[in-house]
Parts: sequence; structure tokens; C-alpha cells
Amino acid sequence: METIDIAHLKSGEVNLGTSIMAVQFKDGVVVGADSRTTTGSYIANRVTDKLTHVHDRIYCCRSGSAADTQAIADIVHYYLQLHTQMSGSPPPVHTAATMFQKLCYDNKDALSAGIIVAGWDKELGPSVYNIPLGGGLFKQPWAIGGSGSTYVYGYCDATYQEGWDRDQTVEFVKNTLSLAMSRDGSSGGVIRMCVITEDKVERLFVPGDQLPKFWQGKEVLGTGVPRSAELAGAVAMAVDA
Amino acid sequence: MPDGSFAHPQQRQFNPYSDNGGTILAIAGADFTVIAGDTRQSEGYSIQTRYAPKVFRLTDRAVLAVNGFAADGNMFVKKVKQRLEWYRHAHAKDMPLRAIARLIQTMLYAQRFFPYYVYNILGGIEEDGTGAVYSFDPVGSYEREACRAAGAAQSLVQPFLDNQIYFKNQKAAPGTTHPAHLPLSDVLSIVIDSFTSATERHIEVGDGLEIYVVVAQGRSPQGLDAFRGAQELSTQPNGDRMFIIRRELKKD
Amino acid sequence: MATASVYSGPGFDFTNEVRNNFLTDRGIPLPKATSTGTTIVGCLFKDGIILGADTRATEGPIVADKNCEKIHYITDNIRCCGAGTAADTEFTTALISSNMELHALSTGRKPRVVTAMTMLKQMLFRYQGHIGAALVLGGVDVTGPQLFTIHPHGSTDKLPYVTMGSGSLAAMAVFEAQWKPNMERAEALDLVCAAISAGIFNDLGSGSNVDACVITASHTEMLRNFVKPNERVQKERSYTFRRGTTEWKKEEIRALVVEEDITHITGRGTEEAMDTS
Repeated sequence: METIDIAHLKSGEVNLGTSIMAVQFKDGVVVGADSRTTTGSYIANRVTDKLTHVHDRIYCCRSGSAADTQAIADIVHYYLQLHTQMSGSPPPVHTAATMFQKLCYDNKDALSAGIIVAGWDKELGPSVYNIPLGGGLFKQPWAIGGSGSTYVYGYCDATYQEGWDRDQTVEFVKNTLSLAMSRDGSSGGVIRMCVITEDKVERLFVPGDQLPKFWQGKEVLGTGVPRSAELAGAVAMAVDA
Repeated sequence: MPDGSFAHPQQRQFNPYSDNGGTILAIAGADFTVIAGDTRQSEGYSIQTRYAPKVFRLTDRAVLAVNGFAADGNMFVKKVKQRLEWYRHAHAKDMPLRAIARLIQTMLYAQRFFPYYVYNILGGIEEDGTGAVYSFDPVGSYEREACRAAGAAQSLVQPFLDNQIYFKNQKAAPGTTHPAHLPLSDVLSIVIDSFTSATERHIEVGDGLEIYVVVAQGRSPQGLDAFRGAQELSTQPNGDRMFIIRRELKKD
Repeated sequence: MATASVYSGPGFDFTNEVRNNFLTDRGIPLPKATSTGTTIVGCLFKDGIILGADTRATEGPIVADKNCEKIHYITDNIRCCGAGTAADTEFTTALISSNMELHALSTGRKPRVVTAMTMLKQMLFRYQGHIGAALVLGGVDVTGPQLFTIHPHGSTDKLPYVTMGSGSLAAMAVFEAQWKPNMERAEALDLVCAAISAGIFNDLGSGSNVDACVITASHTEMLRNFVKPNERVQKERSYTFRRGTTEWKKEEIRALVVEEDITHITGRGTEEAMDTS
């Protein structure tokens, strides 16, 4: 049996080793992403915009290969423009998601793309679709993706609740991404978010030095007040050795 | 899928060697020897340091140039120096050049199945007062020669030396013959030009050049004074004389 | 007899694919392409874009060209620096330059940088990374100054300062330390030179001279060999050879002038000769 080593074929490729998410609320959706793009251990872009516009009220979050996901997003963007001209009305989010799903599924052997599609339409209001690696299509109230997402499934399950308003949803996205970025080496930089509602798309930006902080470990050595001088001495000696 | 396919067995191995670039060369004259090396030490496309000597003084009349894997080279020189020290304690004199050559052979061959990843060139003055160059492969095969280049730019420099030192592909003018040995000033010029040219065309050669000159006892270092900045390293007032000349090379 | 076709289709010729795969399987590797182990940069400043490049081309550890040009022409107001496989960068930029000219002619508008960027990324994506071109694309158009990087697989980034090639880390270190918004032309040019110099001196794949290109809304200025910090040094000796140095086994002297006598067979030859003027 002949198997193609995809990891080898794509060596040196630019990757979005990412933390991305999308959450719906009553009036719309919040999509968010970190801003790190890497080639191996080098950060090729520290302020990447992974929230990609594909139509007026439909955005996608890209994870996986930068080249593959950009190409897919460009194709979908083109088809949605075409669709709008032919039907005379803005496309439903489901239509966009199906286009992404078809491209991802039909070309699954050649692609490494994990995409979250989210937006607002007249038919359903807000909706979030997750299209993971093999090209599946799953409608979810919230979705997380990219390498950083594995660290925060528990947090999301424990925290998410239905019926949040805009500000609560934005806080949830911001906190989740901050946690994912702090644990995942392939994620980092700043947080970019988009709030998509019927009236407008609002872009939000959190600088890298203003990310929400959680438990960050405590100083074990140096500044901490030692329980006894003897203990402090022992610790210092252990460090010297 | 980005984590690859595990359908095939995969083999991983630690590789203890690396190549640190650079080039060395030595030329023997009638009563002197010149041993030189550049001072750049690199790995891949990165410069580790612009000054890492590759040429070392062993005795008053012996100089060793090492090139290849720098960690092995430094360790090898250290061990050769230790053996020469022990020899001095046992015999109250320096080991003769041809004996050092044979010592290096046995030391290299001792590591036949985990070799020192280095090419050695030993230069100096023999007991009969003639200039000599010995060149070695990493596992100890060696021969005495009049000139030798080794390292990254060996393929650039050795043909040049064959042409300029051995006069290969050069027909002598009618009624004359090529000289068996060149004067010191000519040899030094050829050495410097070898390195400036290698620097132009080989990315791992450059930064600095160190040239050791060993002149046999009682012979005048003619032409050496023409080279600015020659520094004398001799320890005996009337033994063999040793000099070092340092030059800058291009740093790109 | 059938005439051999002189028509060759568009795109790449895959005639030798099967043969070359066979040779590779037999342990004969493909010949190594000249790679421009390179430092290329681009930088946004107050009035436009400055592109920079070193001038060394390498084949493995050997310097193949000490003064090559890596800033390629796309249009009057757009230029592109290339790193990676030299042939790939030269041909892709030439092809896109050609298509941009046709595009400008058919639309009747001044070409935009995004147009070139889209053409390049779509081409590179189609070839799935087999065209090893890593590019820095910059220019000024109706939308203002634009600067992009394009990776061999077809991904693009839009940033105010960018670097690519083997010296990109050295150059980016300089940008990350010193770049600031709205720099004056002279200050930005100094910064680009410093970034390229960092590549030239700290990356073995880069070397020789600094090329720069300043693009503003009104004017494009190509500064070929803007700084030359690595001039060839004087040799100690001259290596001219005495005439007769090369030995020969035999000598044969042949006349290369061909003489031909023409004898007119009929007496009327001269007056009925065709006028060939």
C-alpha cells in the first residue's frame, strides 16, 4: 500500500498553529482569533488577521495551512459574490458553510484546513458552523478550533451558557482565547474579534499586553517570603548546584 | 493530517557530528614551512564565531592545523598536546616532527569506529632541517607532502596549489626548469591569495586568517619582514624560529 | 513524411518526468538549482515603500554570482524581491510582469499591487510549493503604498515591514528594534540598508552588496549597488602566464578564408545576371 506522507510534502509550509473560536448570541455572533503565524519555530507574522471576510455578514476563522485556507476563502468569497448577483439577495450563512465544506471534503487529500464559518442571515439570524480537518460540517452554538483549542474545551464546556448578551459573549471569547494562547506555543500575539449583527460588523482588538490574566503561577524563588531562613538557604543552594 | 502518516516505520537517530566549515592549508619550503587557516567557525548558514583558531603550535618546530567538526578538533589537539607533554617529561626533549605524525596516526586510528571528524595537517621542521607537511584523513591514513589544502574550500584551493607550487599544467620556459622549492615571500603571497580567493567564492570561508611560519635553525627568515605584523613566537634564542601573521578576510 | 510540430503548448513541459523519476529511483538525484540564499526586505515609510536585497547567489556552499539582481520589475510602480530558487523567482516575476502589462492595457487603469499579489499567490498555490519562490512585493498604487510577502505555497501577508530568505531573521531583528511609523525617506533607506547588512554579515547565504528600490506615488528609483561594503581586495601576486605555458602535441594552421573561383559557362552570364541588390 502506498501512503503519501503529507507532513513531508508540506515541509516548510506556513502554518496557522492557531486558537480560533466563534460563539453565537441572541443578536449575532462573535468570532475571535489569535494573531500568530509560524514557519517551524519562527513567527512569520505576529499580527495576522485570521478573521476573513467572505461576505458582508459572513466571516470565517482559518486554522491549518495559511496557503490552503487563504485559497479556499478566496474561492468562497468569489462564489458568494456570484451568488449574490444571481439571486439578488445576501447568501445565508449555511450556503457559505456548505461551499467551504464541499471544497474541504472533495480535496481532503490535498488540504490541511480547519475552518469555522459564522455570520448572520435573514433566515436563521446568527449561526456558527464548524468544518474540521476531514471536511465535515457541524452546526454548533459555539465552536473552537486550531492547536490551541485542545487546551480550552474544558473551560468552554464549564463556562458557556445560553442566553448571553453581546458583552458577555465578547468576554467569553476574549477569556477563552487568552487561556488558549497562554498554554499553546503556536498561538499568541494579540486577540482579534468581530461582532457580526444584522446592522453591522464591529471589529475589536486586544493588544498583547492587555490580555485578560488568570492564574499565572507564583514566584517560588527569590521574591517570596521564606517560611524560615534555613529553608531559603537550602533552596538557594539547590539552585546553585 | 498535518501530524503525518504513521503507516511506515520511522527511524530516528542522534547525529553527534556537525560540519563547522573553514579551510586550512600548509606548504613546505626547503628550510621552512607555512601552515595557515581561516578563523571563521560556522554551522549551516550561521556564524558561530568570527575568531576560532584552527592552527595550533605543538612544539618549537611543529604546528597542527585541524578542520572539520570543531568540538572533535579542539579535543584532538588537547590530547595531542597532552601526549607531547608526557613525552617531554619522559625524554627531556620535544618529540620530533615525524614522530608526532606517527603519534597522530595511532591516535586517529584508535577511534576507527567512532572517528574524530577532523582533517589534520601537520607542518614543521624535520630533524634534518627540511620543511615538512604531513596530511591525514580522519582515521589516520597519512603521507608527507610539499603542500596540502583541506576543509570546505579544498576543492577550490588544492588545484590552485597544484598549479602554483607543483607547476602542474605549466611548461617551463625553454632552457629552464621549475624550482623544487619556492622562496618564503612567494609562498606567503600564494597562501594569502588562496584564502582571499576562497573567501570570494566559498560562503564558509572568511573573517580572519592566521598564518604560522616555522623557519629552520640558522636560516634567515628572508622576505618575512616584508609582511607587516609578523609576530615572533620563538622560545629558544638560536633554535628554530616561529612566526605568526594575522590578516583580515572579508566578513560577508 | 510528417512534419515535426514546432508548436509547444503553454505552461511547463513534463516530457522528461517519467525518465527523471526513473533516474531518481536509481539513485541519480536531480541537478541542484541555483538558490538565492538571500536577504530581502520591504519597508513602509511616509511617502511609499522601500525594497532591499543583497546580491549573492549560491549553489550549495559555493557563491555562483557575487552581484546578481534580486529586485525584479513588475510594473513602473510595482517591484518584487525574490528569494528561493533563482530560476523560479525570475520566471514567476517575469510572467506576472507580462500579465500585469496586458491587464493594464485591457483595463486602461494603472495596475494595483493587490492584482500582482493575487496573480502570484494563485499561481504559486496551483503549483503546491513546487515553484520555490518566496517573494516580497511592494509598490504604490491608487489605494496608497502596499507591501506583501508571498510564500512558496501561496500564502500572503500584509505588513508594514517584512523580510524573507535565509537572512530574514537577521534582517527582521533590525526592523523589530528600529522600525517606526511615518519615517522620512533617508531614515527608512538607512534602516533598509541596516537590515540587509545584518543579513549580508550574519547569514552565510547572503553577501556582497545592498540593492534598494524606493517607490513613491510619483516616482520609482532603483538604487543598484547602493552600498558596496564587500569590495574585492587586491591580490598579493599577479597570475599572468608566460606565452607558451600550455603544452601542445601538434600544431596545424588552417586558412579560414574560403576562396571560390567562378567560371561563367555561357558568354551572356554577365548581362543576364539577376539583380540581387
